[in-house]
Amino acid sequence: MPTFAIVILVLFSAVLAGIVVVRPAITASRAGKILAFGVLFFLPLFSLVAGMQNEMQRSESTAFCLSCHIMEPYGKSLHIDDPSYLAAAHYQNHRVPADEACYTCHTDYAMFGTFEAKLGGLRHLYIYYLGKPPLPQDIKLYKPFNNRECLHCHLGARSFEQGATHNADPATLPAIKANALSCISSGCHDVVHNVGRWGDKVKFWEGGS
Amino acid sequence: MRPSDPMSRKLRVSAIFVITGLFVEALCLVWSKPIAFVVLVCIGGALIGLGVLFFLYSLVFATPHTTDPYRAAPDK
Repeated sequence: MPTFAIVILVLFSAVLAGIVVVRPAITASRAGKILAFGVLFFLPLFSLVAGMQNEMQRSESTAFCLSCHIMEPYGKSLHIDDPSYLAAAHYQNHRVPADEACYTCHTDYAMFGTFEAKLGGLRHLYIYYLGKPPLPQDIKLYKPFNNRECLHCHLGARSFEQGATHNADPATLPAIKANALSCISSGCHDVVHNVGRWGDKVKFWEGGS
Repeated sequence: MRPSDPMSRKLRVSAIFVITGLFVEALCLVWSKPIAFVVLVCIGGALIGLGVLFFLYSLVFATPHTTDPYRAAPDK
């Protein structure tokens, strides 16, 4: 449900509840009782669930992640005009949905991955507003990046399964699939965001949103 | 039901909680900051929840009308 539709529903519910405040006597009739049940039980709970679901969905958007000041360099790194930058290459070539770029790579594709990602988000909020946020270049992942997140899309893809480097050694591909050989920290795809280490020669792609 | 009835007062209080919660929710939905979600759940959700619970409480513990003409009528 689009945000404006939920806002209209919420305001409509508030107006109906206002009728009960102004004229509580209408609840004496059967129709009034039904109205009271609707506006004081069903509609508020429905509006709350719809609003929370909308916010949860919004929290997966790239714009949401980048709305924190501390994340700005990470957003900028998506526009680096250099295909060796993993995040930029994925974002600019739509290997990940551009409007959910952060979430697509940084969620955990396990059973409670989405839930854990949301809890992580709450922790970020706590640190951002009540704690001492680190400098953008000092931000570290809570745990090493799991190949599972890459393989969620790349597993079975021809470029991955039959790639020359992946097949140069017969042990490489099984090791990647078993997460024994990291995609991003074993010297293969280790240039990801590299915030704080761009240097002066880095160029930025002007396209995209 | 007169506005001064205990039931009317309870419905009003419940509706005021719900309305306040709904306005907080509406503001959070148009406020595009990460903290909006926390405000929506912690303040908006709490106010709406209180309103709904108070409404249910008022229904469960509503006192029957002793002046109800149908109840007051003698058996035939």
